[in-house]
Amino acid sequence: MDGMLLVSIALPILAGVILLIASFSEHLRQAETLGKKKTGVRKEQSEGMKGLHIYVGLVLVASVALTLTTAWTGERSLTLFTLLDEIPVFFQIDDIGRLFATIVSIVWLAAGFYAFVYMKHEGNEKRYFGFYLLLYGVLTGLDFSGNLITMYLFYELMTLTSMPLVLHNGTREATMAALKYLFYSMCGAYAGLFGIFFLYRYCDSLIFTAGGTLNAVTASGHGGLLLTAVFVMIVGFGAKAGMFPLHAWLPAAHPVAPSPASAVLSGIIVKSGVLAVVRVIYYIVGPEFIRGTWVQYTWMALTLLTVFMGSMLAFREKIFKKRLAYSTVSQISYILFGLSLLNETAFTGAMLHTVTHAFVKCGLFLTAGVFLSYFGYTKVDQLDGLGKKMPVTMWCYTIFSLALVGIPPTGGFISKWYLAEGSLESGIGVFSWLGPVVLLVSALLTAGYLLPITMKGFFPGGENKAVSKKEPSLFMLVPLIVLAALAVLLGMIPNPMIQYVSDIALTLLQ
Amino acid sequence: MDEKFMLLAVVLPLITGVLIPALPFKNRKQMCIFMETGVLLTSVLVILLLLNPPSDTLTVFRFTGNLSITFRIDGAGSIFACMAAVLWPLAMLYSFEYMKHEQNEKAFFLFYVITYGVTLGVALSENILTMYFFFEMMSLVTLPLVMHTRTRDAILASRTYLYYMLGGAAFAFIGMIFILTYGTTSSFVAGGVLDLTKIGGRTNMILVIYVLCFCGFAVKTAMWPFSTWLPKAGVAPTPVTALLHAVAVVNTGAFAVLRITYFSFGADVIRGTWAQNALMGLVIFTIVYGCSRALKETHIKRRLAWSTVSNLSYILFGIVLMTPLGMTGALSHMVFHSFMKICSFFCAGAVIYKTGRNYVHELDGFGWKMPKVFVSFTIASFALMGVPGLCGFVSKWNLAKAAVESGNGMAYAGVVALMISALLTAVYMLSIVVRAFFPGKDFDYGTIRDVEDPNWMMIVPLVVFIVVMFVFGLHSGPIIRLLQTIAAAAA
Amino acid sequence: MDFIQNFPFMSIILSLFSGPLSSILNGKWAKRVNMAVITVIGLMSGSVLAYVLGTGQGFVYRMGHFSAPWGNEIRVGVLEAFMALFFCVIMLLCMLGGVAEREKEIEVSKQNLYYIMVNLLLCSLLALIYTNDLFTAYVFVEINTISACGLIMIKQNGRTIEAATRYMIMSLLGSGLLLLGICFLYDLTGHLLMSNIKEQVQMLAATGQYHIPLVVSLGLMSVGLAIKSALYPFHAWLPDAYGYSTLSSAAILSSLVSKGYIFLLVKIFYRVIGFNVICESKVIHVLFVFGILGMIMGSVSAIQERDIRRMIAYSSVAQIGYIYMGFGLGTEIGVVASIYHILSHAATKSLLFVAASGITDASGGSRQFRDLTGAGFRNKLAGIAFTVGSLSMVGMPMFSGFISKLLFGQAAMGHTHKMLPTLIALAVSTVLNAIYFMKTVIRLYAPGSGEEAMVEGRVIHIKEQPAKSVALVFFILLNLILGLNSEPVIRLIESGLQMFD
Repeated sequence: MDGMLLVSIALPILAGVILLIASFSEHLRQAETLGKKKTGVRKEQSEGMKGLHIYVGLVLVASVALTLTTAWTGERSLTLFTLLDEIPVFFQIDDIGRLFATIVSIVWLAAGFYAFVYMKHEGNEKRYFGFYLLLYGVLTGLDFSGNLITMYLFYELMTLTSMPLVLHNGTREATMAALKYLFYSMCGAYAGLFGIFFLYRYCDSLIFTAGGTLNAVTASGHGGLLLTAVFVMIVGFGAKAGMFPLHAWLPAAHPVAPSPASAVLSGIIVKSGVLAVVRVIYYIVGPEFIRGTWVQYTWMALTLLTVFMGSMLAFREKIFKKRLAYSTVSQISYILFGLSLLNETAFTGAMLHTVTHAFVKCGLFLTAGVFLSYFGYTKVDQLDGLGKKMPVTMWCYTIFSLALVGIPPTGGFISKWYLAEGSLESGIGVFSWLGPVVLLVSALLTAGYLLPITMKGFFPGGENKAVSKKEPSLFMLVPLIVLAALAVLLGMIPNPMIQYVSDIALTLLQ
Repeated sequence: MDEKFMLLAVVLPLITGVLIPALPFKNRKQMCIFMETGVLLTSVLVILLLLNPPSDTLTVFRFTGNLSITFRIDGAGSIFACMAAVLWPLAMLYSFEYMKHEQNEKAFFLFYVITYGVTLGVALSENILTMYFFFEMMSLVTLPLVMHTRTRDAILASRTYLYYMLGGAAFAFIGMIFILTYGTTSSFVAGGVLDLTKIGGRTNMILVIYVLCFCGFAVKTAMWPFSTWLPKAGVAPTPVTALLHAVAVVNTGAFAVLRITYFSFGADVIRGTWAQNALMGLVIFTIVYGCSRALKETHIKRRLAWSTVSNLSYILFGIVLMTPLGMTGALSHMVFHSFMKICSFFCAGAVIYKTGRNYVHELDGFGWKMPKVFVSFTIASFALMGVPGLCGFVSKWNLAKAAVESGNGMAYAGVVALMISALLTAVYMLSIVVRAFFPGKDFDYGTIRDVEDPNWMMIVPLVVFIVVMFVFGLHSGPIIRLLQTIAAAAA
Repeated sequence: MDFIQNFPFMSIILSLFSGPLSSILNGKWAKRVNMAVITVIGLMSGSVLAYVLGTGQGFVYRMGHFSAPWGNEIRVGVLEAFMALFFCVIMLLCMLGGVAEREKEIEVSKQNLYYIMVNLLLCSLLALIYTNDLFTAYVFVEINTISACGLIMIKQNGRTIEAATRYMIMSLLGSGLLLLGICFLYDLTGHLLMSNIKEQVQMLAATGQYHIPLVVSLGLMSVGLAIKSALYPFHAWLPDAYGYSTLSSAAILSSLVSKGYIFLLVKIFYRVIGFNVICESKVIHVLFVFGILGMIMGSVSAIQERDIRRMIAYSSVAQIGYIYMGFGLGTEIGVVASIYHILSHAATKSLLFVAASGITDASGGSRQFRDLTGAGFRNKLAGIAFTVGSLSMVGMPMFSGFISKLLFGQAAMGHTHKMLPTLIALAVSTVLNAIYFMKTVIRLYAPGSGEEAMVEGRVIHIKEQPAKSVALVFFILLNLILGLNSEPVIRLIESGLQMFD
């Protein structure tokens, strides 16, 4: 049955590579003709694109189905080949991997279908979908990876394959943003790698094991060194999750990327940082090792700082997608804060928030994309009165906003509740009460920067005559509705989810 | 095999080289075939020698009683020799095409081929004098190659080159004398040959001499503050910059440092002393310094040269760790870096050959016009950055593992430096890649209308290098185990 | 007594009398006589060397069978015979290399004068090598000075006259100091014969009597000879003297004359004072320091020089520094290294002078660097020869310079305090050597004539200058022999030094 695992990773990668080769050769021809004849930009042929959409859709559905089946049918592991001396490329499906794979699949499906319509105005669809599929395979690999090296391998690949999504439109601004993204990601990845070297020395193995594999005997006497290494890793992998001080790439990369790309960047890619941190802290080092040390406290301080700072910056921001990006900065640090508390409740809260935020933020970016692609609006104050033109879309937006603020009955409420409770439970001096306070303040700020759009959207005080009433195409609308429904569902029927997540927490933090 | 073949391997390229201007070739093709045959024969001979190493040493010539030119094949040497044997025929193939647009080919090929013999001489040397001899020869025979274009820049560069090379040798000389006087033998013996009773308690003297000698040999690896010659020497034709200044010459320096450290002075003597820390400090600084300079540089070849500076110090870093693991890392990076760097240089050379463009900002959109070259360049960049799955990651991993294992505080700083350097590498390599493939929406391809991929002679080496990078990257087990055996035997 | 034992004395007398003989011959015949004399003396020295090697011990030759203090003695060992042979070879090659220049630069009427001087010079050199009498040595030092002055002055222009005057003044100062030293020694010991003095000095040293006068006399003699052999900082006369005199003169002066004095110093160290006394005195520290300074400063001056001949001349200052540094180490192997360097430097420096003239010939006679661009292509043999000489100077393996550097290094290793300074000085001086010699070599092989060249170069074929070409080829061979087959030479020097005692 091991083959299933491999296929679920390889299928999208292969499909993506095929598409990329096609796109590459097409582009080559184009460059050729452009060079020779100096004609203008060639018109995209809609027939060809339809074929492409069918291909991508089929592959996407097939691989999502495959991934989900692989994930949810029993324990699997697979040793592919030996990359380094004693370390193989090793896959293993565990509970948290399952959870992440599922989120990735849902979001990927949603954003993928959405992109069929959206990408028409961005052009160069083959390349986009090529990388999109490729990235899906890589992420599946990341979620299923069974040891730190495998994870690092896919982590790097993820950075490299997601970068073309950022610079998709090819403007100078996008290129610079992509390079910035690359720089920060690499910075983080190398910081992570730095830690891996030390963990390799002082851990029994790099295979993910609940409770950690740190070898107490060899590690004794090197506590300070190891703590530093772990801290560097947290900061490093935190870069992907937009944690201060390596957060600056997010507001630069998100606005320039095509909306579905920013949706998956914000919904999923940043979560990979979270996953990496979870893997390192809970599966390799072991939470006990850093409990009560300066690493934990500094980490907490950093996350709380990021939460507050992100919200403030989002509040001040006028460009819609940038505002959402800052919001991501803040929200992901909720999750990291939950992880840094090192107790079950908080961990549960963090995982719940991961799920909620994935759906919600993806939804928000997709909404922004709708406005962008139909009206070309990028600024917040341009959105006045759109509620009357696109009521369904705006309602979806409202639900996402409420979920992000944490108003019942949405998923956000549950997760934030757990986070706050975990923080109070932790009893870590000042942080136990400072945490909830910051969370609350940030929630208020979130409400402050998201809800006015809804209000002005429905009650603009004046008619926006520039546009006519029209809902977006179904390809765009359905994903929005599904995501919104999921966000609500998580709040209405939270128990199975909570049960699942707290089981994980229990095994990790006995 | 008989030990006489070692001499043959060293001499065969010399003969081939000398015959190039002497023989009356009907046309260029004939000459190329002749040279390629000579080089290939040597390579085959070397590989055969390495597979059936002769058990004996071969003394070719005696200066005085204990000073002789002697050859032998051992682990570390065979790695170096093997590398040269693989790279040279490919580089020759490349230069046949490349040199079409340069003057005075025969003189170029004469020295280019001779350098092969000298490199093998370094690899096969049995004692410190032999190594020093070939080390000096290396400086001399590569000088005409640096001077080749005969422009003012080339003359100035060749001056700098020679000053650094001979100056380095002058300091390396001190170490050689020391070993000759205070060693039990001048041969390379695993674990070192110093006669500690003869020296008495004068440890500091050993260390001072070691530092001087290290720096002397490390001039060839362009360690800071002796690194300026390498970017300057970039005026030479690309086959020279690629094969000699990214592989043969500079690795000779690294190899020599490795020899004196593990086989002459002995790692045990140096480990844990101020000398180790001081040198490690220099090396770590060079790692970061080289990268930062590469970042600032806009001339492609010079950028790659600075990158070489930094990467060579990775090798030195592995060496100064003074552990078998460190040596493993050093050897692995020596091998892997050669493939990665020669590949990137060949790509740069292809651009220069085809278009004469030298600067990074002139490469907009080239990825679509020279796809084969730039895909290779991209892969080489990834390898240099240390993306897992390519060979660069493997050597970086081994180096860092050794550094962490050594438990030396300075070595930890080295790991940090490795990571910083990797990051900077990502920036300065990928900025080229991004430029080439994503020139921007309204880029006018008309400006680079006639740019196209070079012919097979340039592409074949690139393909081979890429295959090697992937093979070593995905399946590093065997070679790393081999290197570990060698290193374990040495230290 | 074997007949062959007369040879040393005969060679001195032969060269001495060929001088006056030349005065009645015309230039052409004087040249022939001179060449023949040098060859014959070389052959005789060779046979003496073979003889001494055969018997395995040196011999003393008393002139007229009078014993000291009335008689005068010649003492012959392996080293003396070898030196005589080597000096003859070098001199012959130098004379050969400079034929064309001599004919061009010296007035026809004065040609035979030149050969008188050369013969006298050879005579004095041989006497310095062989004599066992300190005062005789002094006498021949003076003869040496005078004939050297003549060699410088013979090419008559303002520069050479000035240079000769300078040389004269400095040399006389040096001779004066030497004479003072000898007087002191005579006063202390009452002898002039080397072996006798040594006995007394050893006794004095053992009892600790007259310590200060002994040191003073040693110092005076050392400084005197140091001035004459242009040890830094007494080198001011050298660049002009070597730089502007005719080619053979420059080559002979740099490779032989200064070496004669140095050899005399070695004899004083070993045969007059005794090496053990020398090592205990402070004088060698002074020599060591000045030797090292010379190594560095000579090269620094050479780097700044724009005239190829003067550059080579300054390089001599550095090389003399090497030799004194070797003495300064105060070890047996240090002296061996120094003596080897005397040989190696003699072979290399004269090669460089001759090659440089070949190069200047191809550059319209100009010696300025800017005119030499590409000269290596115009005069191929001279270019190669210059490159060989430069590489030897830089200490490239295969050439003689490498071996002497190796010996110096090994000598330094035996020393506790002087080791590191010596080694570093060696390295730094190698770097400096590399800078000015390699700069020149690269210029020789730079493309065409540079734009800044003031004169038109012309291509010179090997056949055009047969004598010079032959000389160059032999010089190169000599260099390679010394570099590749050094072991017999080193053993010869070692056994020669042993015979000194």
